[in-house]
Amino acid sequence: MINSEETIGKVLAGLRDAQASPGLERRILATVEVRTSQRQAAKPSWTWGVAIVSVVAACLFLAITAIYRHGQPSTQAQHHAAPAESAGDAQEALLLSQKPLTSTRSPIRVATPMRRVKTISAEEAVLLRDMRVPSHPAPEAPLTNEEKLLLRAVHLGDPQVMAMLNPEVQAREEAESEAEFQKFVDQSSKDIQEPNQPTE
Amino acid sequence: MASVEGGSLVLFSTEIAQPEIDIAALVVTYSRLLFRVAHSVLRNQAEAEDVVQDVFVRVIESRRSIQAIRDMRVWLVRIAWNLALDRRRRIRPEQIDESFAESLATNTAPADERLAEAQRMSSVLREMDRLPRAERCVLLLSAIGELGTAEMAKVVGRSESAVRALLFRARTRLRERLEEQGGGR
Repeated sequence: MINSEETIGKVLAGLRDAQASPGLERRILATVEVRTSQRQAAKPSWTWGVAIVSVVAACLFLAITAIYRHGQPSTQAQHHAAPAESAGDAQEALLLSQKPLTSTRSPIRVATPMRRVKTISAEEAVLLRDMRVPSHPAPEAPLTNEEKLLLRAVHLGDPQVMAMLNPEVQAREEAESEAEFQKFVDQSSKDIQEPNQPTE
Repeated sequence: MASVEGGSLVLFSTEIAQPEIDIAALVVTYSRLLFRVAHSVLRNQAEAEDVVQDVFVRVIESRRSIQAIRDMRVWLVRIAWNLALDRRRRIRPEQIDESFAESLATNTAPADERLAEAQRMSSVLREMDRLPRAERCVLLLSAIGELGTAEMAKVVGRSESAVRALLFRARTRLRERLEEQGGGR
């Protein structure tokens, strides 16, 4: 009984009297200093972080501004290109195919939706030129049969036929024909009646 | 040594940029106590010194929130205690306990008596490890001899009366188990 209590007391006293080796504080300070310097060397300081973030933000701002400025003239050029169609189309198409649209800015602001216009390739320039060519009249439709007959009559130059085309001449002709017919009928009726009379 | 400590003190003051946090002063004041706290768990000098170093590295890392700490002594003891428990899981405590028990045995006694005493101390250490966690914790903290009941209560997160009860039960349970082993033999 006494032995166990005595042994417990010895063990606890041994734990209480444990002594560190001499120079513990100096070693701890040196170790902490080394670890701190290693940690600071591994991590970039916050000033460098702020500088890097600032540079990245400036680059982004410049890039967005450049894209915005590239986009506005090209849309304006598309709007103003329609009136000047005929003469400079070939040259314009050539310019479009050679470089992105960065030409003069119009003082008139056109309310256009924000739209990004990319650089136009040569193939797209040809298509754009074809699109801007003025539209021609529609091709002639084939003649109808009546038109063909009329055309043939005109080209034959028959005076009677030509005269029939005139409504007045046609009416006069019809009146004369009617009169001749009536005259013939009257003459015929007289010839029929005369033989019935006694001639003897 | 004074010059080295003085140089380190200036260095840390400029790095931390908070003059009230003096790492060198903390090391001088608390390193021995923290060593005993860690040694009570690990029972090895080199391992305990490594734990003390780790404690002050943690202090450097958490220097921004160190102003909110009310009781620096208890806070450091808790860090050392937790780091020591974590380290003990990675080592083989049986071999360390045997060598520590041999170092506690009386050197003047004959070899056979010294061996028997070392075995008894090894069994005490083994039974201490088998105690419930709260009882073991309170028993080891009281063994250090520098912490009062109130400080132990803060370290283990219990009330002072609970700490006293845990300490009483730990001593009683440990003695009973050792007597059972002695009766069995």
